[in-house]
Amino acid sequence: MDTQFVGEHLLPGKLGQFFIILSFGTSLIALLSYFFAANNKNQSDNSWQKLGRLAYRLNLFAVIGIGACLFYIIYSHYFEYHYAWAHSSKTLPVYYIISCFWEGQEGSFWLWTFWQAVLGCILIVKAKSWENSVMTVISLSQVFLATMLLGVEIFGAKIGSSPFVLLRDVVEGPIFSRADYLSLIQDGNGLNPLLQNYWMVIHPPTLFLGFASMVVPFAYGIAALWQKRYAEWVKPAMPWVLFAVMILGTGIIMGSFWAYEALNFGGFWAWDPVENASILPWITLIAGLHVMIAYKNSGHSYFTALFLIIISFILVLYASFLTRSGILGDTSVHAFTDLGMSGQLLIYMFAFIVLAAVLIIINWKKLPITKKDEETYSREFWLFIGSIVLVVSCIQILATTSIPVYNKIFGTSIAPPTNLIQHYNKWQIAFAFAIATISAFSQFLKYKKTDTRKFFISLSVSFVVAVLLTAVVVYFTDIYHNFMYILLTWAAIFSILCNAKLLGEALKGKWKLAGSAVAHIGFAFILVGALIAAANNKVISVNNTGIGFGNEFAKSNNPRENIILYKNEPIKMDKYTVTYMGDSTSGVNTYYRVNYKVYDGDKIKENFDLYPNAQQNAKMQQIIASPDTKHYLFHDIYTHVSSVPLKEDNHDHEGHSDDESYLPPVVHEVIVGDTVRFREGQIVVKSINRNATIKDIPLEKGDAAIGMNLEVLSANKKFEAEPIFLIKGNTKVDFGKTVDEAGLKLRFTNVLPDKGKLELTVYEKPKSEKKDWIVLKAIEFPYINLFWGGTIMMVIGFLLSIFRRSKEAKTT
Amino acid sequence: MKKSSIVGMVIIAITIGVIISTYADSSTYGSFTDAQETQKELHVVGKLNKKKEMVYNPQQDANYFSFYMVDNKGKECKVEFTGTKPQDFERSEQIVLTGQMDNGAFHANKILMKCPSKYTKDKIEITEVKAQIKS
Repeated sequence: MDTQFVGEHLLPGKLGQFFIILSFGTSLIALLSYFFAANNKNQSDNSWQKLGRLAYRLNLFAVIGIGACLFYIIYSHYFEYHYAWAHSSKTLPVYYIISCFWEGQEGSFWLWTFWQAVLGCILIVKAKSWENSVMTVISLSQVFLATMLLGVEIFGAKIGSSPFVLLRDVVEGPIFSRADYLSLIQDGNGLNPLLQNYWMVIHPPTLFLGFASMVVPFAYGIAALWQKRYAEWVKPAMPWVLFAVMILGTGIIMGSFWAYEALNFGGFWAWDPVENASILPWITLIAGLHVMIAYKNSGHSYFTALFLIIISFILVLYASFLTRSGILGDTSVHAFTDLGMSGQLLIYMFAFIVLAAVLIIINWKKLPITKKDEETYSREFWLFIGSIVLVVSCIQILATTSIPVYNKIFGTSIAPPTNLIQHYNKWQIAFAFAIATISAFSQFLKYKKTDTRKFFISLSVSFVVAVLLTAVVVYFTDIYHNFMYILLTWAAIFSILCNAKLLGEALKGKWKLAGSAVAHIGFAFILVGALIAAANNKVISVNNTGIGFGNEFAKSNNPRENIILYKNEPIKMDKYTVTYMGDSTSGVNTYYRVNYKVYDGDKIKENFDLYPNAQQNAKMQQIIASPDTKHYLFHDIYTHVSSVPLKEDNHDHEGHSDDESYLPPVVHEVIVGDTVRFREGQIVVKSINRNATIKDIPLEKGDAAIGMNLEVLSANKKFEAEPIFLIKGNTKVDFGKTVDEAGLKLRFTNVLPDKGKLELTVYEKPKSEKKDWIVLKAIEFPYINLFWGGTIMMVIGFLLSIFRRSKEAKTT
Repeated sequence: MKKSSIVGMVIIAITIGVIISTYADSSTYGSFTDAQETQKELHVVGKLNKKKEMVYNPQQDANYFSFYMVDNKGKECKVEFTGTKPQDFERSEQIVLTGQMDNGAFHANKILMKCPSKYTKDKIEITEVKAQIKS
């Protein structure tokens, strides 16, 4: 029984599925062709290589085709496709459609395979004599990635998950038996609001370019073992290592910046398993980079370099297993849910582990491993030690992040440390100290052997200056109460000084050294910035006004970090006088205007508004809040709303008398010029209008309508109101006016001719209900710009080094 | 002794330290009953009892949130949390709490929620029904 469904657009999906098959096919052909080309001993016959190139280029075409089809489907709101339905909606701005790609696993796999296809095509042009063997490894990886998108069932096992499956094939429901089911699907599920941020448009592509580029050094390492060109691979692989380290580092920091700017977890790094998973391969690759340099210059550390390059890529695969298999469900807030592809991811990882292990074992005896010991005062020795420290730091992160994996394997139920951040910090600060120190003094060491006297002389100056500077810095940044913090600050400053000295020499002409000096200085700044910002960030929205919830609760020593702000009621928060001014809605977001003022005596020294926003989802009774931050040179004021009244609740309840929502009225007898005070301000009786008119009520002779012109002053704002008193025939009626912003209702209730006074009745809303409120959290992050600035410096350093190393690679 | 062997031994020593520290710092998953018996912080996994009241009244105290949770063994307990009510809390499918018992109530220091994946089968029906009435 085939139902003919109305309104479906099946062509783009079919085309997309064709491209998926094509990408799988071409990557397989590329793999085989390059494999035979690499094994081909006949120099004049390059037909396999030609075929491989053709297949790989076709692969890039196919992958772009997949992306184009998927984009078209999402862009056209074809909700008959599950991917479009699950990850987008009609209200989504066009520039965020691109973010829909990586909300789902399929789209992020696509991104990965796309970058790998692009990088492969670059290698086809650049790799020269390495092309065949390197491209074999990359094609193999590309085959694995292509299977992730296949979405076919073979022998009952589902292989991959296609982004082009139809909604009606995935979700069961009675509506899908109707031919016109599409007309019932008005809109898609929409994109997770947290991803609707410009950083989320560029962070995932950068991160995945980083991940994808890690396959290149790996491929060089494998190719070296396979082709028995043991020593040669280091030079051509070096620029790629630098590239991968630079891009992945940028991607990670972008993610951290996104977390800081768009998420409200109040920081830039939370040691979340997903964050850890992405930084692990980065650390090992950095370590690998340094021992590669050591090997190139001294012949030492060959195996360490090879091993680290290989393990970095394995860790990329392990990271994608962790984040995509659903195994982190209990420990992470970011991980993807399981798509049933854990097995496939594990096969991918183990295939490469086995490949690398077998090749290493076969070639073990022939590897150029030196038997000699390094000199203690030599650069290669400390490059090696520094790398080892990085590896140990990586092991520590890996050990704790993998707790859910042990539970899965051994059936245990170990929970991660309750104070996760402290657990990581106590180890990582020590490692960071060691690394910063080594990156400082090893700059004065030479390869092979160093004159120790010269070494200590040039070191001592920087050492002493660093100690002095540290004293100043820890005093002013207020971190002197923790010994480890002082040590780390000293190490970072020491590293900055030593590398700055190197940079000075580089500017004098030894420009080759500039890259590493700049990168090291950047790294040291990152350390200091992260340390000070993380150690000394201060919640300034400390609640002093809240009423406790009984003794039972007051005992807990948790700081009360959220503060309630009523509209137009300033509250003192640290040195700031903070006022919630109102909200405005733009699209799906509601922006809460929060005014910060700093007074110097009576003078306003500073005055600025922040607009933390929240997406209100009335249907689901939830808000999704994003912070807003005031950036100063030396600190940031970071603000987000933690709770706001849901818009739905703001409707007036009907069926109640209007006056019920006010406090008992206060009657004043006034004359023109009088001032009446109320809780939030004052009312001035300006004048009397004897010719007031009332809509829809015609005045007859003998009737009198008198208006009382009032000026209400509340929270520096002026409002006009004119309640009216009417004598119609024998009855007295009055028409009150409400001033909602001031929470007032004003009635002109009587004229007292004998006293010569007028009666003004003031209704005031009770304090809590009167106004809108928001619950706010504000954090001051000191010196966080060192962190971001350091990042930029480090990236520049990497760029300089890439130029240097690719030049070196060319000259050989 | 060769320097590389010294380095190797140091690495092994630190690695052992790391493993011990991971084990020592690690907590356990338990139930409310376990929590009553220990002073230590632990993780309790369970579900929100949606029938009982959730208290979050920012106008009274913006930093107090309480609710009732049923742990995986079926025991119910009041949970108190110093902080604001997490976004999307009602929709949570599963909650992981970190904290300890305090005077008959579980005092949570951290709440981690697992929300339903978007594609639960019944959800689309509900959405559809609504859409149908509108059109």
